[in-house]
Amino acid sequence: MNTSMFLFRELLGAIRAKSATYFAFAGLLLFLFLAVVASFFLLTPVEAIDPDAQEPIEEIHAFLSPRLSSATIDERYLQLRERVEVASIQFRFAQELNDSASGGVFVVVPVSNEAAARLMSELARTEGVTEIVEVAQQQADDEAEFSLIVRIGLLCALVLTISGSFILVRLGYRELLEVFAGEVRMLRLSGISPRSISVLVVGFGLLIGVLASVLHFVVIYLVHQIVVSQASPWQVLEGATRGWRIVGIGLVGIALGSILGGLMGLLGASLLHARDFDPLP
Amino acid sequence: MIQVSELHFSTEDGVKVLEDVHLHVEQGELLYLVGPAASGKSLLLGLLAAQTPPQRGQILVHGRNVVRLGTEKVLELRRRIGFLPQGYLPLARTVHDNVVFKLRALGDYREQAEEKAMLTLETTGLLRQQQLDAQELSSIDRIRLGIAIALCHDPLLLLLDEPFEGLTEEEVEGIGNLLHRLHNGHLTMIVATRGPLPRMAHEARRVELVDGGVRAR
Repeated sequence: MNTSMFLFRELLGAIRAKSATYFAFAGLLLFLFLAVVASFFLLTPVEAIDPDAQEPIEEIHAFLSPRLSSATIDERYLQLRERVEVASIQFRFAQELNDSASGGVFVVVPVSNEAAARLMSELARTEGVTEIVEVAQQQADDEAEFSLIVRIGLLCALVLTISGSFILVRLGYRELLEVFAGEVRMLRLSGISPRSISVLVVGFGLLIGVLASVLHFVVIYLVHQIVVSQASPWQVLEGATRGWRIVGIGLVGIALGSILGGLMGLLGASLLHARDFDPLP
Repeated sequence: MIQVSELHFSTEDGVKVLEDVHLHVEQGELLYLVGPAASGKSLLLGLLAAQTPPQRGQILVHGRNVVRLGTEKVLELRRRIGFLPQGYLPLARTVHDNVVFKLRALGDYREQAEEKAMLTLETTGLLRQQQLDAQELSSIDRIRLGIAIALCHDPLLLLLDEPFEGLTEEEVEGIGNLLHRLHNGHLTMIVATRGPLPRMAHEARRVELVDGGVRAR
């Protein structure tokens, strides 16, 4: 066993119940942070899959004969506007919707799909209406996105988990280095470079980060396995059915966990600048 | 072996602790550096051990000028010096493991470290106490352990800061005898103390640190 490994093992040996508790919770919060990051990519927004949501309400374009007088068009317009099935109605020139068309067009938005069917048959019987076209209305939430509240919630969770993790890891390091202070003083007195000692401390932070991210990888893989084994997967976890996405998120999690673990280690190593670790009184 | 000349050192507040210190120690010499509290003895040892960064002057240890050494060379020099700091506290492990820890940290393999540790503990008279918790040791055994740790890697220079502090007259003689036995005419040793001195100290050269300067006694 080389010197660095020996010293790293000694550092781990200085972990006591209190510091172990701090480090365990710091690792858990880091795991939760990574899980929140993954949720951005794995969870399907609930609004987008609401089974109770109605089908998109269609627009009805009723093309009018160019021979209709303006008085007749006005009369038809007023009659349609009074109908309970109509949510809104606009008159537009047909050329706005179709270059080759002529005359006018009523753009009618029905209150429901059932109302649309009734309106269609009514319009088909109306004199002067030459063509009726159903147009699916563009839904604002076609591209599924999380609602603002959910996004704010997730961002708050990110901030809370990572800051909590750093606070706990600092407390853990304080406990650990208090136990290991005598060894640090002896190492410095014996000519071991302060940088070598810092590397041990940073290495331990890295270990926490890697363990948390590997656990995260395992958990999202298990979620993936559970979701794909369902006959009808839960729609909210539809994103977890794609294997390549799971691998990608897992690898990003390991990279992110390692970086954050390294930063935690640097935070711990900064404690070594205290006078308590000077070899001479 | 050790040549100190024109050494000056002031605290951050501007208080001059060492002023124009000159000191020469031959290879294999045992030197007692005596002086009252706060006279700069510990500081001088820290400077000789390359633990305290020097300010002005020249410190030659084994032909190397400590003042001009780079970081790596400073670390290398520290590894060749055994140092017992004032108020030494052992690690919270057994006497044996205290010594082994240092040797393994310096790169020895387990077997090699165990062998050297046993030899050092035997030399310092701690063989019977080797499995005891080092923090439970008596004052004299604690000093013995500090000396063992300073000595275990076979240093070229041994620096001891107040090894007689808190000991009874009889214990001072015990540590004094141990030091003279260890010295045995070949290990260079500097012992800083404000007293009391063991009887054997009268056979060695003594210098006094007073008012920031060195004076022969």
